[in-house]
Amino acid sequence: MFRNYFAAALRNLARNRLYAGVTITGLAIGFAAAMLIALFVRDEYSYDRFVPGNTQVYRVSESLLNIGERPIESDSTPMMVAPALKLDFPQVQFAARLSAGNFPPSVQRGNFSAAEANLAWADPDFFRIMPLPTIAGDLAGALDAPDGIVLTRSVARKYFGRDTPIGETLLIDKHPMRVTAVIKDLPSNTHLTADMFASGRSPYSALTHYEQVDTPLNNVVATYVRLRPRASVSTLEPQLPAFVDRHYPLGRINATWANTKVFIHLVPLTAIHLRPSTQGAFKPAGDRTVIAGIAGVGVLVVLVAAINFITLMTARAGRRAVEVGVRKAAGASRRDLVVQFMGEAFLYVVFAVVVAIAMGELLLPAFNALLQRRMTFDYASDPMLACGIAGATVLVALLAGAYPALVLSSFPPATVLKGGLPQVAGGGVVRQVLVVVQFAVLIGLVIGAVTIARQTYYALNQGMRLDKDQVLFIAASPCTDRLRDAILTVPGVRKAACASAMALNMANTIDDTIVGGRHEALDIAPVDFGFFEVYSVRPLAGRLFERGRPSDGFVAGSEVNPPVVINETASKKLGFKSPQAAVGHSITWHFHTDPNTAFGKDPSRPSEIIGVVPDFTFGSMRAPIESTMFMVGPKVSYYAVALNAKLDGRRIPETLQGIDRVWKRIEGDAPIQRAFVAIFTLRLYIDTVVQGALITIAAVVALSVAALGLFALSAYTTERRTKEIGIRKAMGADTSDILRLLVWQFTKPVLWANLIAWPVSYMVLGGWLGGFAYHVDLAPWTFAAAAAAALVIAVATVFAHALRVARAKPVGALRYE
Amino acid sequence: MLKLTSVYKTYRTTDVETLALNEVSLEIAAGEFVAIMGPSGCGKSTLLNVLGLLDSPTSGVYEFFGEDVAGYPEKTLTRLRRDHLGFVFQSFNLIDDLTVAENVEVALIYRRDVGGERKRRVAEALERVGIAHRAGHRPQQLSGGQQQRVAIARALVSRPKLILADEPTGNLDTANGEAVMALLTQAAQDGVTVVMVTHSLAHAALAQRSIKLLDGRVVSETLLAA
Repeated sequence: MFRNYFAAALRNLARNRLYAGVTITGLAIGFAAAMLIALFVRDEYSYDRFVPGNTQVYRVSESLLNIGERPIESDSTPMMVAPALKLDFPQVQFAARLSAGNFPPSVQRGNFSAAEANLAWADPDFFRIMPLPTIAGDLAGALDAPDGIVLTRSVARKYFGRDTPIGETLLIDKHPMRVTAVIKDLPSNTHLTADMFASGRSPYSALTHYEQVDTPLNNVVATYVRLRPRASVSTLEPQLPAFVDRHYPLGRINATWANTKVFIHLVPLTAIHLRPSTQGAFKPAGDRTVIAGIAGVGVLVVLVAAINFITLMTARAGRRAVEVGVRKAAGASRRDLVVQFMGEAFLYVVFAVVVAIAMGELLLPAFNALLQRRMTFDYASDPMLACGIAGATVLVALLAGAYPALVLSSFPPATVLKGGLPQVAGGGVVRQVLVVVQFAVLIGLVIGAVTIARQTYYALNQGMRLDKDQVLFIAASPCTDRLRDAILTVPGVRKAACASAMALNMANTIDDTIVGGRHEALDIAPVDFGFFEVYSVRPLAGRLFERGRPSDGFVAGSEVNPPVVINETASKKLGFKSPQAAVGHSITWHFHTDPNTAFGKDPSRPSEIIGVVPDFTFGSMRAPIESTMFMVGPKVSYYAVALNAKLDGRRIPETLQGIDRVWKRIEGDAPIQRAFVAIFTLRLYIDTVVQGALITIAAVVALSVAALGLFALSAYTTERRTKEIGIRKAMGADTSDILRLLVWQFTKPVLWANLIAWPVSYMVLGGWLGGFAYHVDLAPWTFAAAAAAALVIAVATVFAHALRVARAKPVGALRYE
Repeated sequence: MLKLTSVYKTYRTTDVETLALNEVSLEIAAGEFVAIMGPSGCGKSTLLNVLGLLDSPTSGVYEFFGEDVAGYPEKTLTRLRRDHLGFVFQSFNLIDDLTVAENVEVALIYRRDVGGERKRRVAEALERVGIAHRAGHRPQQLSGGQQQRVAIARALVSRPKLILADEPTGNLDTANGEAVMALLTQAAQDGVTVVMVTHSLAHAALAQRSIKLLDGRVVSETLLAA
């Protein structure tokens, strides 16, 4: 019996190559896209699970709450937290700190040197907390010696050309370090970004430096703990408020901090990636909502493909009517026929899955490149993957096969054997509804892709409200007047100014300010003369800093603080009715003049507000622009970390070469690190760009699958309506009448689809945009454009068939019966 | 009114060439009721399709109301069909998805008649064939005889000069067949030219002239009534 079924199924498939091809290709494309998306989703949920014993590993995070302010969530802590946790709590087996330092050090071996952005300084216990897979050396004790350094295999090969250069020396900022262990390259699904781990005990390490300037508000290191094997975090958490009270003497540092509350939490290692974005995070955080959205898109793509399958199978049911009649006449029960047609559906789906697996493998390298991941389809070591695919195959075969099987098996044998086509009750309606759903998905995806692209473009351009065109960042710590003035002499450089990490929104320092007795916390952002001019920021009121007035800048030993320019938000926060009203007022604040000493030593001093500038940011649109106060700071490392050079944009390669030459003359062998601001700021939205790309790809896939299905469906229904078309033509309908009739048939579902797609997209995308403090509006034109695009595709797909049929001689159509 | 001169019609498939009409010449006057007879496959339906401008002759001259239409483009043929012709098929050829009234209306919508006038004429035609009480039903809900009456209403509603009926009683029982013939005879008496293909001698006898075809040739013509 099954041989007979199988033969019927295979021959049916072979006889209807077009439909079979379309059905299988559509399903395969859908499956392949869904498999890649599933791989991505799985990757997002598997962060840091490769670390042995990860269930006992936690990272300390901190919330800082000023009464009436938005809490500041930070992934970093002050230096003292790690040793204090270890001392205070017996449950803590190991505690260690990790810091990348402010700017990438130069790493040198022989004549080869490079700036290594991924070098981190770590406490000796770091690898006891994270026993990462090791290739050579004793990882546990690798950072005990102050000159110990651990490399990943890739870095080892880069500098030494081999995997195990144990005992060899590297120069880190000219200080020798000895390779003590080599670990495997970290997978992409870890929150860690480092590929070199140097001992924090080194006198030159960032940890040693931070130790000297440690205060409870200086969050500079990531702190990790490993709890003892049977210790539970729930016994530890209730004791953390008391821990904060003991170790964060905020009120003693500065009376104004007395109102500030600090909370610390232990975040499980595997939960780090999916926590909301925080300050100090190594990588952009994953967002559960977005992942759910992307997973949803994957399901929708499979849905679209499955709908194709159902519509094509039922549309062609009539072709199988005689077979059904004969089988029933020969004694087949309905159950037999359901089994037969379900089996056939299964055959199609299995074919499609095989094709999809091949497609997935072919596309994976490009997909990894797009997402900056190293994901693999590792069926052998990941039984979940194989089971998932098998499960999905069965599920889709059941869902997509059930309806056509029920329809086909229901044909009354008497009718079909007489040659009549049975009228499938509701069959047409079900098909119409499925096509409507398909187009609704498509329209929704198009609206989503366009909106994400618009928001990304907005965030990277006008949203930042500064002119970063042709502005180059050059990392320099400190950025000196000498370097700035030398770069200014390079032909093609129009303007140049130093800036602090705070001015560039890469760090923040908050200070309590007093204007007329009113206390307000403002962000402090030291800049340089000419900084606003580089970015074409013009004052709303008052003036900017002028190099010709030395008193506009920082004067060592002065009894007053340097004058300040504030942004519009700060002006409002300080209670001024207009920017003009703020100018000339006195503002009292602490200027921490020497960042190499502890904070809070300098007394409050008055200074004058000389200007108000519009709000702008180098940071993410996700957070509101902070109220900020700018001043010309001293050119020391903390306050001048980058040079901003505006180029004229005419001979860029020559200008860059000139800049490199000047750098070499002044800074010697240290490699130059420069990037155009426009490219640099892309990092803030890399996740948004990825989301946009994923949804665009999904939309294109859904679109092609739906178009394929519609093409075949239109071929079929047009064929089915041949008799009707013949009658209409005999009655005098001309080509355009028939064309209108057929095209309208496929236009209607697209119009209905908008009724589903528009409100759903409005809600989903409204929520997504709500995650940005500054965002584009949901433009009505995107909705109209997506509908129009779907309509054009629908019409273009069916037009060829419709035209062919509409042009045919009516006698052919009538003879069809 | 209709004049065929040496008309040939051949059908080609990949390996067979069928001569469906072989040097057919005949003339049909306005208001005449003509029956075409002959065994299966003799070319009756092909002749009807050529006469009805549904198919073009392979060679020969076809003068339709004085115009040689043999080489006319489809667009012109469509216009001529719309303005002058009505069809009745053996298998009724009603559109399943439309109601009885809508099926009849199909013959008018492509003439761009105004809606109110259309409705009036549809009602009148349904009244004339005695099926007005089923105007809102679907074709599948009617008996064969009723369906054919709807088809005749559709053929009459546009007030054509020529009605072509392809075995209009072939699928009907005697009583229904006679009712359909009565309607066609009435139409002919009202001045419409009727050309009917039939196997039934009794029904052919109701025509004024019968033409007998064999293997695509006209083999005899019989004048039946004055």
